[in-house]
Amino acid sequence: MDDEEIKKNAEFLIQNLANKEVPGHANVSVRYKNLVEFAKIYGITDPKYIGPEEDGIVACHAFANYFTVKALYKLLIGMKLIQDGKERPVVLNPGKLLHAGNKYNWEGCVDVKPGDKLKITAKWGKVWLIEETMVLFAELLVTVKNQNDELVCKPTVTVAVRPGGY
Amino acid sequence: MVKISDLKVGDIIRNEFDGITRELLRRYAKVSGDTNPIHTNDAIAEKAGLKGVIAHGLFSFGFISKLFEDFLSGERDGKIIEIDIEMRAFVRCGDLLITEATVSKIEGKRVYFDVKQTTITKVDIKDKDGNIIKQFEAGERGYITQKDIDRGLVKTKEVEEGILTYRERVATPGHAIIELFE
Repeated sequence: MDDEEIKKNAEFLIQNLANKEVPGHANVSVRYKNLVEFAKIYGITDPKYIGPEEDGIVACHAFANYFTVKALYKLLIGMKLIQDGKERPVVLNPGKLLHAGNKYNWEGCVDVKPGDKLKITAKWGKVWLIEETMVLFAELLVTVKNQNDELVCKPTVTVAVRPGGY
Repeated sequence: MVKISDLKVGDIIRNEFDGITRELLRRYAKVSGDTNPIHTNDAIAEKAGLKGVIAHGLFSFGFISKLFEDFLSGERDGKIIEIDIEMRAFVRCGDLLITEATVSKIEGKRVYFDVKQTTITKVDIKDKDGNIIKQFEAGERGYITQKDIDRGLVKTKEVEEGILTYRERVATPGHAIIELFE
């Protein structure tokens, strides 16, 4: 891919992604075992996060990584656009995709518990190009709700795509 | 129990973790669903130009949330409101990961922190004559770049066996907000 095509693709994505909804959603079923394994990775010993299932444990905050990754794989990598009459994925080469930043906001959120069925939706925020390096940056504003339509987390993921990846 | 009256601007909380191994990254890949092989397979990571596996970008984040969970006694003393980080540098197996949060502002029951995660990457230990007597993964795989040296990130210090060369850099800067109950 030459520089002209890279720049053209960047302009296309800036125009067609910024502030747009990501179609579809991702579902996550929360399993007790997964919550406990996640906490144990970080050496968490608090029974609130790793106790017996019948004691009513909740997810540690790092578990937000789990549904963020789901959002990235399903919503970002799965999204398609029409450019010059042809369908194309947002990211042409996932190998060029970098995770540049991450914000988790839990204001007004409820805990994640075993058995929860989470629904993940997303929209694009800012999309911008650093011309010096031709790295394209984009914010993905994610909303995660449980089966009762209660908010459990609002992640904002900043992705960077190196030239050739978009 | 931690209370708002116990805290002042400049207070620091921290944790250290020196157990980043390939086995731990494999476990993390399995539970997180992030199965990109650059985090678990050296041959694939090398082909991608990474010289060896790198930790998942969000892997280190868990040590920041744990820092606040521990500080708040598992959110019994308050709530984590927000954690916002940039991923600036790779974290690798063998790195010592230091997570530090400094109180930057207090407003009502809300406490604002500047957060940073620093990695200490051991390169090698040399004797007095400059002969390498012990080499670590970073030395063997060439993780240290000229840029690291130019930026003054590569340092030495005396240890029991000789002179340790290591790199110290900030991998993850960011901010966090918590809200205390009292």
